[in-house]
Amino acid sequence: MSAPSPKDIRAVADSAGVPVDAEVAARIANSIGPAFEGFAPIAGTLPFDLEPASFLLAQAVKVSR
Amino acid sequence: MSSEPALMSLAAIAKAIAARQVSSHEATRSCLHRIAQWQPKLNAFMAIEAESALKAADEADAALAKGENRGALHGVPLAHKDMYYDAGHVVTCGSLIRRDFVATSTSTALQRLKDAGSIRLGSLQMAEFAYGPTGHNYHHGAVHNPWKFGSVTGGSSSGSGSAVAARLTFAALGSDTGGSIRMPAHFCGVTGLKVSYGRISRAGAMPLSQSLDTVGPLARTAEDCALLLGLMAGADAEDPTASTLPVPDYVAATTASLKGLKIGVPMAFYVDDLDADVAKVLDDTIAVLKREGADIVKVELPDQRQLTAACQLVLAVEAAAFHKRWLIERPQDYGPQVLMRLQNGLAIPAVLYLEVMRWRGPALAAHVAATSGVDAVLAPVAPVAAPTIAESDVGNSPNAEAVIQRLTRFTRPINYLGLPSLSIPSGFNAGGLPIGMQLIGRSFDEATLLTIGAAFQRATDFHERVPPAA
Repeated sequence: MSAPSPKDIRAVADSAGVPVDAEVAARIANSIGPAFEGFAPIAGTLPFDLEPASFLLAQAVKVSR
Repeated sequence: MSSEPALMSLAAIAKAIAARQVSSHEATRSCLHRIAQWQPKLNAFMAIEAESALKAADEADAALAKGENRGALHGVPLAHKDMYYDAGHVVTCGSLIRRDFVATSTSTALQRLKDAGSIRLGSLQMAEFAYGPTGHNYHHGAVHNPWKFGSVTGGSSSGSGSAVAARLTFAALGSDTGGSIRMPAHFCGVTGLKVSYGRISRAGAMPLSQSLDTVGPLARTAEDCALLLGLMAGADAEDPTASTLPVPDYVAATTASLKGLKIGVPMAFYVDDLDADVAKVLDDTIAVLKREGADIVKVELPDQRQLTAACQLVLAVEAAAFHKRWLIERPQDYGPQVLMRLQNGLAIPAVLYLEVMRWRGPALAAHVAATSGVDAVLAPVAPVAAPTIAESDVGNSPNAEAVIQRLTRFTRPINYLGLPSLSIPSGFNAGGLPIGMQLIGRSFDEATLLTIGAAFQRATDFHERVPPAA
């Protein structure tokens, strides 16, 4: 997964209903790019039957050392 | 008994008022006296409500004289981050947009403190909409660090950190979505508790990111945090994400010994790229904990950079969604930095957001597995002490963004994992600025963190040091 380009960002922001101009899109790309890159090793690797609610299960696990 | 009641801890003043050794009026007057001295330099308060606070204090004293004690905080004056809804009061959320917003209900956390008898001193400054890690505020001005004017307090609970450190309030609510309690605690030299996600109801607290937001206290001691946590924690019909787990006796936990406890120190990430003063304080903290009976071992944690990225993505999307209407209708009413942070969320596709949320369970499970041999993990809150307000001002300093990214490195992973973390004052740098360490615990095991924090505070006096007079 690569970081989005300013052009990608303009398209996504437009579809979100909050259009941004080219300058703002370039600034967002620069700012949020590292987060995309940081998550890249995980993106696209998760198993099919994994839901966000698995977090609550992980929170509830009793741990004793 | 201190001749200046405002210098007492929360637990001590609450006991002294209950025993009628100090009146609520005297305690409130003492805080107001210090506020008058410090506020012009700190800008820690959003609103100071002296007249109504003294009236409430007199009522509390009159009730006690009749044998009526409302609870563990009877007559204790408190001020909180200006994002907790309090019916009939303006709650600005540090913003221009909500400058005149009057709450029609009271947040659960605040109501529980009121039910215990606390009284309102006013409200505290914060980053605009709690979206900033330094203490800058475009509309209301930066909050200053009482240890060194011109240095940041950390944010977003900037007023809470500054006011507690300067002894203007006995404790304060903050909120922690990416480090917003722990960083002000670290930079200002106070004790701050970021609770497990779900431990305290978020109902009536301004939202920033519903998956990450936590309510919690900044106070002078671990015991004070324990007292407040015990009053606020527990199920709440108004917040379905509030846990129904029983609420332990957190104050009792602060009296336990460290013997038999094992504390992990990360082998990487949290010990990388530390300023020399922070590295020394980490070593000194380890030595104290060992001396107090804890076993210290190395732990190898999963890749924390991925957790940091995940936290940033979740926070950006959820904040943008909350603010979408105002981003469309009132973009000019945001400070420029907060507007830019909110716009970041517009760039993240829904599938990626959900992927990040789907990974949260496995990420927490991996952390639990990696730390299964220890009761808590010790790490710095940040790799540096407080930078100056000028050098971290994104609008005016070319290096500010890099400075800010460095500040938040060690706090964001914990929010993504929803874990509790207690920040404790652990030393000072060569320039006299405080340095804090965080104890990161297991989900819903705040009690162990409070045990460790209190034991550390029995062995040290960093939490008792007061900034020199304004």
